[in-house]
Amino acid sequence: MKKLITIFLVMGISGCALLMPKKAEADTSISGSIESRCTVNTDTAGYYGNPSANTLTTLPASNGQVPIVRIDTTLANAYKAQISYPTSFSSSPSLSDSVTWSGAVAVVQTSVSGMSAYQAASTVTNGGAMRVYNLTLAGTTWFSVSSQALYGGGQAKPFPGGSYTAVVVAECVAQ
Amino acid sequence: MSSSVLGIDVQDGLDISGVIYTYLPVKNVVDDFTVTVQAKHADTGFIFQDTEDWSGLPAIRIKKALALPYTPVSLFGESAIVTTGTGTIEDASVIYMYRFDTCYDPQNDPGCPGYIPPVPKIPKIDFYDALEDEFVEMALEETDSDLIEDKEMKETDEEEEDEERLEVAFAATSNALTIANTATQASVLDAINKATNFNSYYIAQIPGKIYQETIVLPDSRLPDNRKVFRSLAKDTLMNQMIEEQYK
Repeated sequence: MKKLITIFLVMGISGCALLMPKKAEADTSISGSIESRCTVNTDTAGYYGNPSANTLTTLPASNGQVPIVRIDTTLANAYKAQISYPTSFSSSPSLSDSVTWSGAVAVVQTSVSGMSAYQAASTVTNGGAMRVYNLTLAGTTWFSVSSQALYGGGQAKPFPGGSYTAVVVAECVAQ
Repeated sequence: MSSSVLGIDVQDGLDISGVIYTYLPVKNVVDDFTVTVQAKHADTGFIFQDTEDWSGLPAIRIKKALALPYTPVSLFGESAIVTTGTGTIEDASVIYMYRFDTCYDPQNDPGCPGYIPPVPKIPKIDFYDALEDEFVEMALEETDSDLIEDKEMKETDEEEEDEERLEVAFAATSNALTIANTATQASVLDAINKATNFNSYYIAQIPGKIYQETIVLPDSRLPDNRKVFRSLAKDTLMNQMIEEQYK
């Protein structure tokens, strides 16, 4: 009788083991979003003046307009601004000769007096076309980006007629 | 804060919610220089005071926005930009942001809750009473009637005397002619009677007959004799006669 009970018990446990799943699991998602604490906006759109046949420039004296980029950050010492003047046209007529590009990026207005030191502390990369600013203070900084394009590789060839567009790249990058 | 600064009428319901200011500091990098933009409280202290320290920094245009809790404009006192150290500022501008609660005073807008239709005030009108006008009273005041009446009486007497003289003159002429005519006619009739036998006329019989009126006098306006009317309307002569008996 004792042996019979033992057999049933072993069979019962084995049966239970066969009916139960091998493991229990559940997928629980965790969501979140990050709102940027640094934004880049165009305050003033730029355009080229054409003081001579082989020159396009944003200088106001040549009927151009220097674009103004505004960067807002609400967090100090968290971002750096990378701003480049154009080194090529994004759209233009077919050009058979080379274009010589020049330009400058500068801090023109700030919301905090301490930001006036940004320009002196900035660095240049990418052959001088890109200027990098460490945004050490929270607030708003306005940058001007001047640009000049000379056609003809120093031989002062006139630009072909048409519409020309170049792009200023301004980025807010985490440090 | 005055209306000229705000650009609108200062009144209840206007709250300042922020300030945007900008200026260009002019200084040398090595100089110490601070700039403070502030607005005093109407009672005491400051509603806001924002200082930028430009010491040791290059000068660059600053543009700054300050958020303020909604503050009634009536609490704002004198606003100023104060500098310390070596340097100046140029091209400064301070702009206040505001909101206006049109229903702060429900009477501002009929759409506001609690609006009570106003009862028009009946204006007090001063009625003009000509009888109380000093100039009218002066004009109605009795003046020296004796002088006026004497003058009128004198003029009237002279006119009447002239008229009487004329009437007498016309009457004398008329009487003379009448007398003369009468005498002439009498002499003519007398001469005729002497030469004519009137008996046949005395025995003549006139056959009975009805003579219809053939002459029609049309109605016409007979004007009043104004001269007589004026003469009769005056008591001057009567008064003169009455006064004569007491002399």
